[in-house]
Amino acid sequence: MDDGVQTQIERQRMDADIVCVGFGPATAGFLATLSKQLVNADGTPAIESAVMPGLPPQVLCYERSDDIGFGVSGVVTKARALRATFPDLDQAQIPMATPVGEEKVLYLLDPHGASRRSAALRLADAFIRAFQWMLPFEQHGLKLPWTPPFLHKHGGMVLSLGQFMQWAGAQVQATGTVQIWPGTPVAKILIEDANPNMAQASSPASSAGVSPGVSIGSGALPQPAAGTDCATLTSRSKVVGVRLLDQGVDKKGNPLEGFTPGMDIRAALTVVGDGPIGPIGQQLEAHFDMPHDHHKRDWAVGMKFVVDLPENTALKPGTVLHTFGYPEPEIFGFLYVHPERVASLGIFVPSWFDSPVRTAYRYLQHWMLHPYLWRYLQGGKLRSWGAKTLGESGRRGEPHLVGDGYARIGEGSGSTNVLTGSGVDEAWATGTQLAEAVLELLKVKKSFTKENLEATYVKRRRASWVEREARVAEKSRDGFQQGVVRGLMGMALAGLTKGKLTLGGEPVQPWKRIPSPEEYYRGKIPVAEIQKLRKECTIKGVSLHGVLMDRLGWPAIPFDGQLLVSHQDALLMGGKVQAPPGYADHVVFLYPELCQKCGTKICIEACSGQAIAPGENGVPNFDREKCVHCGACLWNCSQPLPYDSERGNIAFRAGTGGLHSAEN
Amino acid sequence: MNTVYQIVVCAGIVPDPLQTLEPVASPSGPALKNEMMLPAVLDPWASHSLYEAANLAKHLPGSKVWLVSLGPKAKLQQVMMTVAQKVPFELVALDGPGGGFTEAAEVAAMLAEAIQAIPGLDKSKLLVFGGWESASRGAGATMQMVGERLGIMDQFQGVDELKIAADGSLEILERIEGGKHQISKCAGLPALLGWATGNLPEPKNNPQIGMVNMRTVMPALQKAKPVKFAGDGLSFVNVALPKQLRETRIVKDKSPDDVAKEIIEWIKK
Amino acid sequence: METILLLAHTETDGSLAQSAREALHVAATLHKSVAVSQLVVGLIGENVQSAADAIAACPATKYFGVIGKDFSQSRYATDTAAAEAICRTSGATVVVAPATSRWNRVLAGVAQRLGGHVDTHINGVSANDGKIAVNRWYYRQRMEAVLNRKQRPWFMLIDPGSQPACQSRSGTASIKNVVVELSDACKRTTVIGVREPAADAQTIRPDAQLLFVTGAGWTKKQADGQPHVPEAEKLIRGFLQLSRASLGSSKSLVDQSGEGQAILSFLSHLNQIGQTGATPRHPKGLSTCCHGEEPHTVGWRFVAERRAINLDPNCGWARGKADVLYVADAFKVMTKVNELLAAKT
Repeated sequence: MDDGVQTQIERQRMDADIVCVGFGPATAGFLATLSKQLVNADGTPAIESAVMPGLPPQVLCYERSDDIGFGVSGVVTKARALRATFPDLDQAQIPMATPVGEEKVLYLLDPHGASRRSAALRLADAFIRAFQWMLPFEQHGLKLPWTPPFLHKHGGMVLSLGQFMQWAGAQVQATGTVQIWPGTPVAKILIEDANPNMAQASSPASSAGVSPGVSIGSGALPQPAAGTDCATLTSRSKVVGVRLLDQGVDKKGNPLEGFTPGMDIRAALTVVGDGPIGPIGQQLEAHFDMPHDHHKRDWAVGMKFVVDLPENTALKPGTVLHTFGYPEPEIFGFLYVHPERVASLGIFVPSWFDSPVRTAYRYLQHWMLHPYLWRYLQGGKLRSWGAKTLGESGRRGEPHLVGDGYARIGEGSGSTNVLTGSGVDEAWATGTQLAEAVLELLKVKKSFTKENLEATYVKRRRASWVEREARVAEKSRDGFQQGVVRGLMGMALAGLTKGKLTLGGEPVQPWKRIPSPEEYYRGKIPVAEIQKLRKECTIKGVSLHGVLMDRLGWPAIPFDGQLLVSHQDALLMGGKVQAPPGYADHVVFLYPELCQKCGTKICIEACSGQAIAPGENGVPNFDREKCVHCGACLWNCSQPLPYDSERGNIAFRAGTGGLHSAEN
Repeated sequence: MNTVYQIVVCAGIVPDPLQTLEPVASPSGPALKNEMMLPAVLDPWASHSLYEAANLAKHLPGSKVWLVSLGPKAKLQQVMMTVAQKVPFELVALDGPGGGFTEAAEVAAMLAEAIQAIPGLDKSKLLVFGGWESASRGAGATMQMVGERLGIMDQFQGVDELKIAADGSLEILERIEGGKHQISKCAGLPALLGWATGNLPEPKNNPQIGMVNMRTVMPALQKAKPVKFAGDGLSFVNVALPKQLRETRIVKDKSPDDVAKEIIEWIKK
Repeated sequence: METILLLAHTETDGSLAQSAREALHVAATLHKSVAVSQLVVGLIGENVQSAADAIAACPATKYFGVIGKDFSQSRYATDTAAAEAICRTSGATVVVAPATSRWNRVLAGVAQRLGGHVDTHINGVSANDGKIAVNRWYYRQRMEAVLNRKQRPWFMLIDPGSQPACQSRSGTASIKNVVVELSDACKRTTVIGVREPAADAQTIRPDAQLLFVTGAGWTKKQADGQPHVPEAEKLIRGFLQLSRASLGSSKSLVDQSGEGQAILSFLSHLNQIGQTGATPRHPKGLSTCCHGEEPHTVGWRFVAERRAINLDPNCGWARGKADVLYVADAFKVMTKVNELLAAKT
């Protein structure tokens, strides 16, 4: 349903003081800090609500997934910010948490000869194999004898972020001062224009009806009018709240029986912490643009298993392994050991991995089967599975952090440190910084203007370790644009020189990097054969990567029904993926003609849940029931919009459902 | 009809249906592996009864719904954040074990006590709702025992439909064998209904209902009465997942016609 | 001494159902295993003599009956009163009953009145050294427990179809009539009828030899890139009419009705099997286009012989759970199956 129709619908309205979008680590940090100071010890309000006089501020948080703690990722963290919020943090209270123990970085060689390795890597591999007797080499894996200190997490924690978020959510809600509502996606940001003709918008509106003078951030990406200066025109636009997702609609958003229009939640401050692919963050960036020279072009999809390790496992709780080199040199792996023989393990497939068949699931299985790891995993059992996008642009991907009526925190605000590979601690810290700023403003009854938020929140953030370390990291990964070896060297150089020296240039948009399968496999698989395979796969409605990988010599996966299971069984047994009925598709192919001319269909190949499949007339099909909301389709799309080269032809909107595991 | 109903819904919490469940031994008897880590939902059949209760209350002005729920407080709090946006209710919370291996009779005693303690409860206006079975103990026994303790002689299980006539009598459809429904007419209140699925869809999330409910949900959780169960006289010899692995013969290369012939032979055998 | 009571109600025609004979088998076996025990029978119905006579040769030493028109109805108040009276009169310590909808409604309440305990969904009862243990399901048939109890009376509801039926010969039973005075409060409810599904409606039919399970694959796009829902409906209806099979469905297929998607019009939640549906018992089961691991496959836990048709050789309904998996297109196979069935009729 287009927005023209949407605006005709009568919507209910509810007023709050603060509305938060998304309950991830950043919002948890925000609410944990805020909630402690809203009420005095005697139960009276420490600060009074503007919408409910006599009561403490009404703080609401809407989370799209069906419960808090679903759809996030396992983590190793230094936990500096977490400990600052919870000085008496008892790890034993958080299931699956344990102190970091042994840390290792491993270079994995390819035991099958199927991966695509540069001449430099092949030479290095030959050297390692030739001198393996004098190296810390076993089972086709080389343990790096030294790793730079910036990679270490000593003193930190191995966590299940799902369990941690459930714990944090319980702590926050137990204060009784904030409400977190899962299963309630925020569809739109409500932006009020400062145009005097629209002034009535700021007056209290009736409890029903369309809020006048309010424009709506669109789930689809709006095309700016030619010749306008978006930044100037919108500089005094004000965020006045959010609109929740329509319920009781069909796949296309058309009303069905039981149609319930998403309610408008108006608030003086909207806190946007909806992650790297969150629709509200996207809408803000579309409306307010990105700051000069800032962009989001570096991404990765992380896919993981949580595994019951075999009874006789040699892995001790707190063990942290990081790998690179296999199944493709560009793919990084991790294995973190929790208490009670449980491990979180998985891979990251980055946007600069130039293969058009970047299928995380099959690569993850090959990675697990690598002899160095399989000796630990054989006999293990899948407990949980999931996938998530990581925003890898770091500080370069930082959007406008604040504006009138809104502030951004967490990964979507560019807080992830791409050098140290740390995001949760930083996200949490930005949340606490905003909470402190908000409390400061509330106490002196100052409004949430851009200037006031800059003077409080942004100032705190700029002065913090998050910013300091992000500046060191800012260009540390640019070398990967020109290959893995150069990328690793660049990281080391940046890390060891505190960011003074870096390698590589400006990252380019992922779509510029994606070759067609015919180009990528030139000299390995004849074009005619690829086309024949593509035709067969399209008829079967499946992706192409499986047959191409078979063709290149990747061995078949020996399914065992326990740990090595089909992709769909991983969704069911691991992710417990579900989609409640009555919501529109959140993945939308904006311009069918762009899909029709697309040769790579990388959205199908990259889809973490096999939710995108070949469809009619060259436009892929989307199956909401299989989507894990990883968002990889958003940034993998090889077709840029004609009017915005930073965005692809896939809209990733607000949606419910997805993973139902709290162990990830 | 101007009857005002007091509808008390008993609904526990159970693991989200798609979770992998595995029994383990604990000091207090069998339990689920990682029980506190498993995402929980309001028991599915009891949820249907809650929706039916809310629908009834909506159409009978002045009527009210209470939700009596027993489970670990932290889990109850979590589940309420999903349920509280659905329909209006007042929560009566009991903080205790919510797993399936507890004794139905003990749970019933606690639920009945909590119901009787609801201020202003009037049996002549009372409808007690619940699921006909839970997704945990799955016994279909607790509600009858609650009803007995409350002295309710008109009880129905596997209910799919309730109609209230102008004279206040109830017409009830219960599931019986063979995909049939038994139709009963009950002269009036009090009555107890253990619901199957009913006919109502899951209500949409309504933030305003959530806001209103939370005014009573959080205080109810804060004053949730702790309960413990003795499980006297009951001992579990063994709890295990069924050994059901079969040797599957995979037939890959037969034509559809040949497969059809083989299936026909098998069916007729 | 254990007094083991087989508690049954008669059918509308005064007979005993198969499930009652199965419960009798359990009670009789238990009596045999517990050295110091007696077996008694309690029957409730408008008239119970013919039912008692039908099992007169069983090892029961006494027969109790609560009879009368008031007890012909499947109604909580009168059934609890009757069951309570028989239990008290007989001095039963162990009460074995078939898990019919009628007994499921009342026996937990009777146990409460008598200060006893109840176990349901029992699929096995045993006794070792006089110690009785029952096997029952928890978490919707996903785990099985063996448990015993010290308290008496102990009510046991036996899942129909889980036990062999007692083949006791008929004879003449001497029934002790237990008189139950009913107050008006017991008669506030009246059974006014039974609603049967429409003749062509497809529901789970417990008496069918075959359970035909339909999965969400029937409504998905097929090899030509198009969904073929009307064709799927025709094939499934045709098969059910020709085979007289019972129809079960996966949850996802039933749920699609809320999505505005094309669905099989005759499916309802009554067809749903699995974690949030039924777990019917049938000698044979054929799953088509189903996918999923536990808990979805719980739906055919109690199906003895299982076969599956699926294009996915790793189909979770099949691997390790079915006896045979046909990796084939169900549309094509079922078209031929219907042709063959039609030719034979």
